[in-house]
This record gives sequence, C-alpha cells and structure tokens, in this order.
Amino acid sequence: MLTLDRRTFVKSAAMTAATTAAAAGSASALSLPVLSQPEGSSLKWNKAPCRFCGTGCHVMVGTENGRVVAIQGDQKADVNKGLLCVKGYHVGLILYGKDRLTTPMLRKDGKLVPISWDEAIATIAKRIADSPKTFAMYGSGQWTIGEGCAGNKFMKAGLGNNHIDGNPRLCMASAVTGFLSTFGVDEPPGVYDDLDACDVAIMWGNNMAEMHPVLFSRLIDRRTRGEKVMVIDMTTRRTRTSDHAEHVLLFKPHGDLAIANGIAHLLIKNGTYDKDFVAKHCNFRQLGPKPDEKTPPDMLGAPMTFEEYAKAVEPYTPEKVEELSGIPAEKIRLLGELFGRRDIKINSLWCMGMNQHTRGTAINCLVHAIHLLSGHFGKPGDASTSLTGQPSACGTVRECGTLSHLLPGGRLVANPDHRKHAEEFWNVPEGRIAPKPGYHTVEMFKRFNTPTDQGGDITTLWVQVTNPGQTIPNLERNFRKKKGLADKFLIVSDVYPTATTELADLILPSAMWVEKNGMYGNSERRTQQWFKLVPPPGDARDDCWQTIAVSHKLLDMGVEGMKGKDGKWIFHTTDAAGKEVPIWDWAHYYDTNVDERLFEEYRAFTRMKHKDLAPYQEYVKSRGLRWPVIQQPDGSWKETRWRFSEFDDTYVAKGKGFQFYHSVTKDDKALVWFRPHEFPPEMPDKDFPFWLCTGRVLEHWHTGTMTRRVPQLHRAMPRAYVEMNREDAKRLGVQNGEVVTIKSRRGELDLPVWIGGRGDPKPGEVFVPFFDEGKLINQVTLDEYDPYSKQPDYKKCAVTVLRKA
Amino acid sequence: MNPIRANTRAGTRLFTGVVVLAAGASIAAFTQPPNPIANVPIPKSPTPAYAPATTSPAQTALPWRLNNPAPNVVPESRANPAAVVDKFNARVRSIELRAKLRAFEGAPPVVPHPTTDMNVQTCRACHAQGLRAGDKTARMMAHATMTSCTQCHVEAANSFLPDQPMPANSFAGYRTSGYGGTRAWAGAPPVMPHPVFMRTNCVACHGEFGYDGWRPDHLSRTNCFQCHAPAAEYEQLAPSFNIPDVPDGTMP
Repeated sequence: MLTLDRRTFVKSAAMTAATTAAAAGSASALSLPVLSQPEGSSLKWNKAPCRFCGTGCHVMVGTENGRVVAIQGDQKADVNKGLLCVKGYHVGLILYGKDRLTTPMLRKDGKLVPISWDEAIATIAKRIADSPKTFAMYGSGQWTIGEGCAGNKFMKAGLGNNHIDGNPRLCMASAVTGFLSTFGVDEPPGVYDDLDACDVAIMWGNNMAEMHPVLFSRLIDRRTRGEKVMVIDMTTRRTRTSDHAEHVLLFKPHGDLAIANGIAHLLIKNGTYDKDFVAKHCNFRQLGPKPDEKTPPDMLGAPMTFEEYAKAVEPYTPEKVEELSGIPAEKIRLLGELFGRRDIKINSLWCMGMNQHTRGTAINCLVHAIHLLSGHFGKPGDASTSLTGQPSACGTVRECGTLSHLLPGGRLVANPDHRKHAEEFWNVPEGRIAPKPGYHTVEMFKRFNTPTDQGGDITTLWVQVTNPGQTIPNLERNFRKKKGLADKFLIVSDVYPTATTELADLILPSAMWVEKNGMYGNSERRTQQWFKLVPPPGDARDDCWQTIAVSHKLLDMGVEGMKGKDGKWIFHTTDAAGKEVPIWDWAHYYDTNVDERLFEEYRAFTRMKHKDLAPYQEYVKSRGLRWPVIQQPDGSWKETRWRFSEFDDTYVAKGKGFQFYHSVTKDDKALVWFRPHEFPPEMPDKDFPFWLCTGRVLEHWHTGTMTRRVPQLHRAMPRAYVEMNREDAKRLGVQNGEVVTIKSRRGELDLPVWIGGRGDPKPGEVFVPFFDEGKLINQVTLDEYDPYSKQPDYKKCAVTVLRKA
Repeated sequence: MNPIRANTRAGTRLFTGVVVLAAGASIAAFTQPPNPIANVPIPKSPTPAYAPATTSPAQTALPWRLNNPAPNVVPESRANPAAVVDKFNARVRSIELRAKLRAFEGAPPVVPHPTTDMNVQTCRACHAQGLRAGDKTARMMAHATMTSCTQCHVEAANSFLPDQPMPANSFAGYRTSGYGGTRAWAGAPPVMPHPVFMRTNCVACHGEFGYDGWRPDHLSRTNCFQCHAPAAEYEQLAPSFNIPDVPDGTMP
C-alpha cells in the first residue's frame, strides 16, 4: 500500500466517487466539485441551551466562518436527549434577520438618528445622575444570569434604587407565591424525570403540546415504547394537547379553583387522603382576616385545624363543582379516585393557565395542597410542577432576585437581615440598599405613563431583552400614553425593532444568544452555561456590558453609589495577576470572562435557601446541573433531583423521609392550603358576552420578535387570528376567515376568524394568540392582577365579537 | 492491491485506475472551483480497480461465502459508466429538492401540503411506510415513531391564514456536498455523511420511496451499519473547541 495520509484518501475517494472521463480533449469536463465537508472543514459544533422557552433544551450549534450554519439536538443533554421542537431546530436563524439593530440610535426632534456608543452611554448616565430615584429598569427572564446580576447590583447596591423588575412578573410570579406559601421557598421540588415515571399526567390549563413540546414528547413518547401513561387535559379549549389525552375535561374559566377543592373534598370524604404523610409532614392553612379594607390578608396566612379544613372543603361536592366548573360530577369523582390511589404516580403540570390568574397564588397553592394531602409528592413521578415560559425566568429573575421586592438567593428587600447579607456579599456600605420594595411591573409602567406631576414618579425607564410594548396588559393606558409625555425617557436594548422600540428615545443594539457568553436556569432548577461562538453584527454589544459601561460612566461622574465599601468600583474586575481589567471598555470586555466573575460573586448568595450552585467551571463541563449542587467528599459535584426527599436531597436529615427545611411554620412541614372558589373580576355580560383568552402558538415564541424573522416559522403561522366555536359563528352568521372586531371595555382589534383551527374554544369563548405585533391583543386585555404575585390575568376578560358592516 | 497510480504533479494526490468514459455534458451543471484533477493524466486503457473475486482462496476455504458472494464494490462504474454520472446528477437534484424544505441539512423538513391541526396520527397513514401517488411521493419516516409530529414538522405555508411580508433573513444553512460519505480507499464502503441520530431508518431516504441518486445497488442488504459507519464530525463525538467533551453531569 502506498503511504498516504488520511486527508489524501478522502480527496481521492471523493474523486473516485464521481470519476468520469473527459469528452475528447476537454480537461474542463473533469471539473467536479471536491468534497467540501470532511476534513479541513471549519464546521465546529458547540453546546448552548436553546434561546427560547423554559424547558432548557440543549442544542449543538454548528458554526462556520463566524456564522451559525446548523443546529442539532444535543444528545448528551438530559432534558431533551437529542430532540428539539421546530423553534429549537431553527434557533440559529434568529440571528440573521436583515433588520438587526446594529448601531445606537437617539431620538432627536422626533427622529431616530445613529449615535456613537460613547454618546449613548453618556446620555443614559446623565438621565440617571439627574434623577436617580425616578429611574427604573425593566428586565427579563431572557436576561442571562450575568446580565441579571449586573442589573440587580447596579440598581439595588449601586443606586440604592429598588425599581428593577422583570417580565417573569407577567408569567411566573404566581408560581413563585404558590411555592413560597406552600414550601416556604421558591421553585419546584420535582424535576422532568417525573415525566418519565408518572402514570397519570394532569394538565391544568396547559397546552403542553405547543408550549413545551419537547417535554410533552418526553411524556407521550413513552407510549410508543409500550409504557402506559394517562393524560388528563383540563382545559378551557380543545388544543393539540387534548388530541393525546384520555380525558379532556373542558372547564369554565376560573373553574380550576372549584376543581381542586372538589378533589380535596373527595379525598377527605372518602378517607383516601394519605393520613401518614399528612400527619408527619403537613399543616393546614387558610387566609387570615384582612388588616383593612384595601390590604389583602397576609400571604402566608393563618393556621387552621384538620377539622376546620375538612369543613371548608365540605361544600365542594362533585355536583357543586360541576355547577361551578362545568366538568361533569363523574369526572370530578374520577379525579378524586385517582388522587386517592397510592399505587399510581401523578404529575400535575401547569404554566400560564394557572399563573396568569387573578387568583394565581390560590390555585397554585390548591394544586400543591391536593398533592400533599394525597401523598403524591416527592417520589419519582409524584409531583406538582410549574413549567416556565422563558429560558431563565428561574435562573436569573427568581434566583438572582431581579424583582422589585427581592434580593439574590431568595432574600427579601423588606427584611433587614437579608439586606445586610446582600450588602456584605456585594461589598457595599451598610444601609446602601433601600428598605422599601420598588414598583412591580404593572405599577412601574402605570407610573411611567402618568404625568410626573400627577404621581408618575418614574421618568426614565431602561428596558432590556423584552418587549413590554406588546406584552403589558391594557397597552393604551399602560404603555402608549408615554408618547404625549415630554419628560419621560425610554431606553430600549434589543436586537430587532419591536413594538417597544417604536416609542423608544434611545435604542441600544444588543448581542444575542451565542453572540455573547451566557448562563440560563430552566424550569427544573438546572443552571446552564454557554460561550460566545459568533460575533454580534455591526456595533451590537452585550446587554451586560451596557449596564457595566453606564455604571462606570456614573463612577467617572462621581456618583458615590458606584463605589463599594473598599472605595473600588462595584464591578471592579481583576485578572489572574490581580491587575484591573477595564471591562467598561468594549475593546477589553472579553479580556476576561465577566460572566464567571459575576456568577462567582452571586454564588455566595445561594447557600441560605439551599439553592447551592457549583463553581462556574463545573457548568462549562456539563449540560446543566440542578441545584442544590453539593460537593462530594471526592471533590465532585452532585446535583439534586427530588428536593425535600431524603433519598435524594442531601439537606434532608437521615430518617426523616421528607423534610421541608424552609417550612413557613418552622417545623419542617409543608402547608396544605384552603382557598375558596371565587369569581374573576370581569365576566361576560349582556354587552360583552364572550370570554377572551390569549396565549401562544407552537411556531412563535412570545412576541414573535425572533421567530417571526425565521421564514419556516413565519410562513407556518403568518398572522394572528381569533378562534371561535362553530356554534357561535353560526349564530352570529360569521364565515370562516371573515374579519371581525374583538372589542372589550379597553380596546378593540380586527382579526380573521379561524373555526376548527389550531384550537377549538367552547361556545361563548374566543382565543387570540399574542405573537403578532401587527395585532396587539393586549389593547383589549384586562390589567387586573393577583393581589400577592401582582401577575396580570391575560386569560380572562369579557369581549364582544362584532361583524364588520 | 490493484494498481493505484500516484499523480506526481499533485504530489500526494491519487487517481484511481477506474475511469469512466461518459458524456460529460451533464456534469457542467456543477461548477465548483478549484478543479483539483483537471490536469490529471487519463490512462488510455482503464484497469479495473478491483478484479472480480471469483478465484480468491478465501472463498474456496469458506463454503458459506460461495453461496453469499460479497457484493462487487464498484459494479456500476464498470458495468455502466454513464450511470455513475446520472446518479451523481440525480443526487445533486435530490439535495436541491431537500434544501427547498429545510433551513439547513439536518433541519426537520417543513410539510409541503396542508396538515390537520388535530389528530396528527393521520400523518402515519402515508408516512409510516411511504407511498407514491401520481407524481407525489410521501417519504417514509426516517426516525422511530414519535407521537407529536407537528412539534417539529410545520406547514411550509399556512393553509388557512394568508401570508404576509416579513423581514428578510440572511441565514445560510449548512448543505451537504453531494459526494456522499468519505471512504478510506477507493472501494471502501463510505461512512455516513450525516448524523445517524433520528435517521435510523436508512430506507426512508435510501429505499424505494427515498431520493433519486441515493439508492444503493445493494438494497437487498438490510444491515446498513455492518459496513457503513457513522461519521464522527456529525455525531457529536468530535471534541468541541475549549469545551472539554465530558458526559452530562447527571447522577448515576
């Protein structure tokens, strides 16, 4: 055999594969392409979590010549095991919309004009320095952990200003208050492994087939392997999820409160609740009296006895629940029977249906309650699990505490001890953090959209990585009023023009996803890491750098808050030799890993609530780790799957079985809550006879700013529509495809009717997706919110359907 | 080993003795620079790279092989040289056809016909086994049945809602070359030029309802993996730059 290197073999093989002879004398006829991919190709594969939802799939990103060219599902990822959804497979395309923002722009005389970064940073710093207390920052569950840490420290420990909130307020806040009220600490005790082990999966107003498709497949694909899993779809409208369910239980909007109470009623009445589990691990709880007419009762409630609890759920007979929820009594009995069985595993799953709810905290507590009462808790397959809509609503906003009332690691602004901890960890002088929580999202936007002399005490608002111009409820009142208010200044960091940049006074072009280093935290407590793989376009820069640069500008301007206890800048960063790295200068931002520096600082916060994180470098090596991550005697790091369960959670004392070590009642017990069924604040009436529900579709992620720039996704779902029941359409004489007006007390919108389309609402209900920026359904929605979570209810309001003349 | 002649001009480059006399016109469609073999001297009298293995002592020693002769490695190129060119052209046409339905090679194809929003089980009616009706081909599923088909496969264009303009997108997806997998030597079985994950059912693309130019001449052989190995560069086996390639940090 001749001596040849492998490369030569490849080339020769390529030629042979298509070897041909020349037409007489013509050398060019031999002109065949050479094999381009194998060997010598610059195609590289790297890991990254998907940019979209809270599932937290990992993708393999194929890059070539500084561009993303291919995506694969990451087979090493425990979450998705190589599978993605249609959005995930096309995630690489979101970087390449032709209208990417590539240069900072300032509105001068009503027109946006390109400016330099120096001018942009100076403009922001001046607005802040002029009025630091009326400045607010609105962030996102798409903020990386580094971005959230930087923003939080800058605001709370730098400016002493707590007006920093995040959009998870609109999507996850009720899940948080539910976990806090029940377990005394946020985030689900269970994990996705429960999907692999449960016998029954119950969807509580949760269209998982479209919203968390990869997890839904993880569940139902078990059937193709011969396993049995029963899906019960409790929903207000038939969806793709219903298509895979054994039982589709269609309920009246807000009827979920009655259903959960009905299950509790049956468990008590039939004596099928888990007496041993309840005796050892549960206390009962209800709301106490209102302190005054305007203030809701304390969120953590007041004790009640088992007898009082039994009495409270007594009225919720299957027949009564049928009347309140519309689900037949026999089906309520079926649910009660399932929960009463000890030989099966039940996994309850929910997302926006239970969270975007004016009684969101209540329904979250009730679903945990029936799981605790029946002992369907803390064993593989037995769990009550909320799913997240954004990639880092948990990792960044809930854990780093970038909400107006939170500090990192589950701490509260209002708690003096917690403020002291935070000041120590952040190395800032005592008293730097203001004791009063800042404005929550709806309040923040209301005030920004109110004239300053009429109580509108937010004058400068910096929005990063989110699109409130499309997602704030009652947009006319809460977002668009700003237009007429000359002294208000809106700063928007984003990657594409959006409904928010439309009203921006200053636009900052941002790097996105694999154009920057990042970390996310998904729905199952999994913290994930990725590296920058391609350069951002034009002059776009990291959001985290933007915050840091403004902070340094303020330091230069002599703003005292930008200094720590030691007199150094709050983002002071050194290299291995102890020399300062000028990270405020974009040219040097990547001289060090700013993400790692911020993460290691933040990590110290995570011990108190036993949300222990591993060192940054452990995440580099893994496809995410679920906290608490505990170092083992051999130096390795072990993640935790089932929290509070002795067999898996290091923090549970030996012999306890279960231990709720952050118990509200300080006795290691969880709370079984009673909350009554109540009617929502706005219901259909003579003038507005339809319920309106809003939501998402498979192809588009939230406001569609990314997915609507992907041809494959856009063409499959090009515009918003209104789903209507066939009977209603017949009664109103509306044709399929006809454009009608959806009108509420707040606004109206014209949309084509789609009958028997993606979903199928019950008579008297309509559904509109919110992804289409040309059809802003939040002009119509109601801005009422849950009294504890402050999360608005986008799922229920009263509208009328008008035919065009 | 049969004669392999080194091309001294190209240094280490090789040119095998298998030369096909063919009408060259149809190849002109693929113009790709540079042409590495333009100046390769063409042997006047082609010598087969592989002699028919009828007299091999190995075969006589192993009676089972007499009844199951190994397939000829390059039968087409010798028996019908024009077919090789045709096959290559067909292969490239197939790549173009596939590219129309995929953002990049490896992306889940969009569905070129209206789909039902509910009851996705109906997908299986045509795509479980594949079928041909008139000029339409329903491809067979390349992966094991997964239940929620529309999770990955969406309509190429919404069949109910009218399209509306969108900002252009400059993404340029990875495309396969059309040459197929690499071979260790001229007659070796090629490695698979794509990931095997989710493409375990080879006949989906390489079988009856598969793609022109991708059908092997030995379809009767069913254990594809016996000879064709997965290629590391697609299989998430290659080490990633500055990321140590370690298993997920999950517990045992």
